Amino acid sequence: MYPTSSQRKYWTFSNEQEIQALRLKQNQDYIEKHGADMDPQTRLHFFLTPEEERLLLKQYELHLRDFCKRFDPPMPRCIIGTAFHYFKRFYLHNSPMDFHPKEILATCVYLSCKVEEFNVSIGQFVGNIKGDRLKAMDIILSNELLLMQQLNYYLTVHNPYRPIEGFLIDIKTRCSMANPERLRPGIDEFVDKTFLTDACLLYSPSQIALAAVLHAASKEQENLDSYVTESLFHSAQNKLPVLVEAVRKIRTMVRILDFPPKDRVKAIEKKLDKCRNQENNPDSQIYKQRMKKMMCEEDDIDLDSSYHLAATDSSIDGSLMNISQS
Amino acid sequence: MDEQACPRCKTTKYRNPSLKLMVNVCGHTLCESCVDLLFLKGSGSCPECNVPLRRSNFRVQMFDDPMVEKEIDIRKRILRDYNKKEEDFETLQEYNDYLEEIECIVYNLCNNIDLLNTNKKIEQYKKENREVIMRNKTKIGREEYELEEMLEIEKQQEELRRIELQEIEQENKKKKIREKEALIDELMSSHEDASKIVSAFAEQAEKTREEAKTIPAVKRSEFSTGIKFGRGTQQGFLPVPKMEEGPLYNYVAPKLWFDGPPIPSAPEIEGKGYVQHIRGELPAERAGGYRSVIACQRALQEALQGLYHGS
Repeated sequence: MYPTSSQRKYWTFSNEQEIQALRLKQNQDYIEKHGADMDPQTRLHFFLTPEEERLLLKQYELHLRDFCKRFDPPMPRCIIGTAFHYFKRFYLHNSPMDFHPKEILATCVYLSCKVEEFNVSIGQFVGNIKGDRLKAMDIILSNELLLMQQLNYYLTVHNPYRPIEGFLIDIKTRCSMANPERLRPGIDEFVDKTFLTDACLLYSPSQIALAAVLHAASKEQENLDSYVTESLFHSAQNKLPVLVEAVRKIRTMVRILDFPPKDRVKAIEKKLDKCRNQENNPDSQIYKQRMKKMMCEEDDIDLDSSYHLAATDSSIDGSLMNISQS
Repeated sequence: MDEQACPRCKTTKYRNPSLKLMVNVCGHTLCESCVDLLFLKGSGSCPECNVPLRRSNFRVQMFDDPMVEKEIDIRKRILRDYNKKEEDFETLQEYNDYLEEIECIVYNLCNNIDLLNTNKKIEQYKKENREVIMRNKTKIGREEYELEEMLEIEKQQEELRRIELQEIEQENKKKKIREKEALIDELMSSHEDASKIVSAFAEQAEKTREEAKTIPAVKRSEFSTGIKFGRGTQQGFLPVPKMEEGPLYNYVAPKLWFDGPPIPSAPEIEGKGYVQHIRGELPAERAGGYRSVIACQRALQEALQGLYHGS
């Protein structure tokens, strides 16, 4: 039930400005916290700007999609949708400088697999990751609880996939359209793209699904306008303009979707290596000390949490996810 | 738990599963075979404390702690002499002091504190209270006698009741025979219709039977000791607390807020042919309670709800 869900209540925003404001705030909070002793000019050069953060996250959203597509065993689409939601929600309140997106990305997918009841063990999961798997396992498991906390434990996500099925059934039943199944490729492509935009933070899943169906229909030179006005909004004509506007906005968002230029992303990543929070960097000395300290405190309670220190060898290179090489 | 072992031959329960530990008045344990060996003559001294012991006083150890055994022995012995009852004292305070004195003596003897004085005290008490002790001993005897008497009376009553029952039964039998004879006589002598006579007799027999039924069987309501049973035992339990029951639950169908166009109901979905467009349920799924209309309705519901979002 989307209308009564936590997704609608806490994670669907009324406009893009609200989202912008949140992203600006987390960026500033991080800079305030870690750059208190710097003057504005060096701050600007040292830390990532909100725009740079956006570009970086967009790049990692692409990685997220590719990672899920290449996942073995092949995962149902709803996991990808849920993982995207988690990723976007997480970075509304956290800076990528604080938590590196490549780590959160894998954690999001892992948690999403659990929530959507796609049973993969952690061993099987890290089998899909290039590089040091033990270390990846360590990172994912130690970030999982953090992620859930940052999501405020609102783990149920309503994806547009089932609404799409509903619309197709409805169209087959109530429309005289020939072979609605041919819309599918267009729909799938469109929905995949919406996840690279902020649409899922702004509109209800059924609105996104309807936008996808309408987009695919127009690509196939079909007109479903009468279906929308006559069948769907027959009894509520006054609500129609809002929906039309929403569909238009979603389609625009998908149309203007662009991919971040490779060289810019590379420069940003380099900058990020310097300004990221070393306490959350598994390769840094600070992190290792912190973990060791935690281990010592935990030792009395829990002797078998060995994976925390499983891979703190400094010889390990930083190419954990290694996704960008694809 | 540490293994039980004989302090003399060091045999443990593990090595000899049939090991039996014995204990005497001094509270020191010995295993059965050691007792046999040491007390061949019938008496001897404890190998640990050299107290002279008699073989016949050895008992199988019941408690893990031999000190408990020793205390039981001592208590038994002391209580044989200190047998005053509460009625023998004028005030409760005095009785309590007396009980405390007994405890003191028992504790002292158990833990070997001031043995000489304690024993002297007991002797003195025995001398001073010889009469009372004797009287109380006989009193206990008398109580036992009374109890026996009561049992005897009960037995007699039982016998009486049995005889009574037998008599009633015989009476009944005789009555039946008499009735039958009367019926035959009537049939022989009367000029009326035979079936009428039979039915009249049957009616009468029915009536007498009913009368017999209405006489309630007298139930015994107390034991021979005078304790009432039945109600008495019931009073031992608290009555089951009565639950305050509110008005009956009234089901009201939940009102769902769809924020979208109206969603077709299950019969509508089946009637309008929505179900044709999705996979039908397999027999196994059907057995599990799944119907394709459920999935169909869910998809439609999710498609339509939230369409008005933002307005």
